[in-house]
Amino acid sequence: MSTAFRAVQWNRTKLIYDGILLGGVTLYIGVYLTVVYSVDPPRDLPAAIDLCIRAFGTCAFFMLTIILSIGPLARLDRRFLPLLYNRRHFGVLTFFVALMHASFMVEWYAVQNALPSLFDELTRIADYAKFIGFPFKAVGLVALIILFLMAATSHDYWLVFLTPSVWKSLHMAVYAAYGLVVMHVALGIMQNDRNPFIPALLASGFAGVTLLHLLAGWRERAGDRAGVRAGERWLTVGPPLSIPDKGARIVAAPGGERIAVFRDGAQIAALSNLCAHQNGPIGEGCIVDGCVTCPWHGYQYRLADGRAPPPFTEKLVTYRVRLALGVVEVDPRPLPPGTPAAIRI
Amino acid sequence: MTRSQRSVHRALWPVLAVAVALGFAMALALRPPPDTGAPQAAQELNP
Repeated sequence: MSTAFRAVQWNRTKLIYDGILLGGVTLYIGVYLTVVYSVDPPRDLPAAIDLCIRAFGTCAFFMLTIILSIGPLARLDRRFLPLLYNRRHFGVLTFFVALMHASFMVEWYAVQNALPSLFDELTRIADYAKFIGFPFKAVGLVALIILFLMAATSHDYWLVFLTPSVWKSLHMAVYAAYGLVVMHVALGIMQNDRNPFIPALLASGFAGVTLLHLLAGWRERAGDRAGVRAGERWLTVGPPLSIPDKGARIVAAPGGERIAVFRDGAQIAALSNLCAHQNGPIGEGCIVDGCVTCPWHGYQYRLADGRAPPPFTEKLVTYRVRLALGVVEVDPRPLPPGTPAAIRI
Repeated sequence: MTRSQRSVHRALWPVLAVAVALGFAMALALRPPPDTGAPQAAQELNP
């Protein structure tokens, strides 16, 4: 959280996260180049550049695979939440690694004075009608452009400017980018190189990510169905003690969004389950220092009115709650963000 | 994520999985056989 513009809101956790990221990338590239140089030294400059293309290309694929696994893993198991904390820096670094891969590819043509060949390859319209022989570099280029858009709009400035919903929708394009990367490799290097590890790694990476997303999506569907009763004015949450102290129970409004009903001792309040920052699942967070704390990035809101404590200005939609016959109920009609609506039991 | 984003996510991944799996399988099945006798020059302009 910040009250003024700051390019990057560094803190110790982010520095450690980024240090591990940079160290991991450096280690991977270093080990890859060292091993291949020692086993099969490149015979000339283009071969050496080709090695760099492969090193950065495989690194970008692995990074993208990990990035796309973090979201569903965090949904399925809270122990993965720390990986989600600084995922945006992971994404930006992945774009730069992919950019290095593309830069070495251009250099490979340049050192042989063959840049027109690259241009011809990308503009030979007839090849776009083929499957085998499709200009796979164009597929990679589209994926790179998507990654660029993700990286360029990753800053909180764009998050606020576009609104969290639009920003999140835009960033879901990374799923398409991953599919394009798989096809870039399948129609490119996999056609020329018979190394069985290439299709094996490609298939296992994509299958793993797909499985995680399908599992997480399946689980989310069950959450969307829970508590939905069309025509009901008040939604039943349960007895007060069924809501964990300093935690929440999440209910789904009929045909609408999820509502997080929190309890802090004897105080109960219902807030939108969407964090004002990145639409994170705030109901999966807990109450820290009297404030509801988002599990994704630690944004905080007062339980009483859904407002971030001063000097911060974020506000959440709140809902009316009541205790009827010993059962907590919530009115699914949203109140304006920041409206006090907590009750004491 | 909002409810609509969750719906898009749930619809998108099965479609993406089928499309990419099909494309990958075709690329694997249709790739040309290894030609050990071919001159290297044919592949020189493809890193």
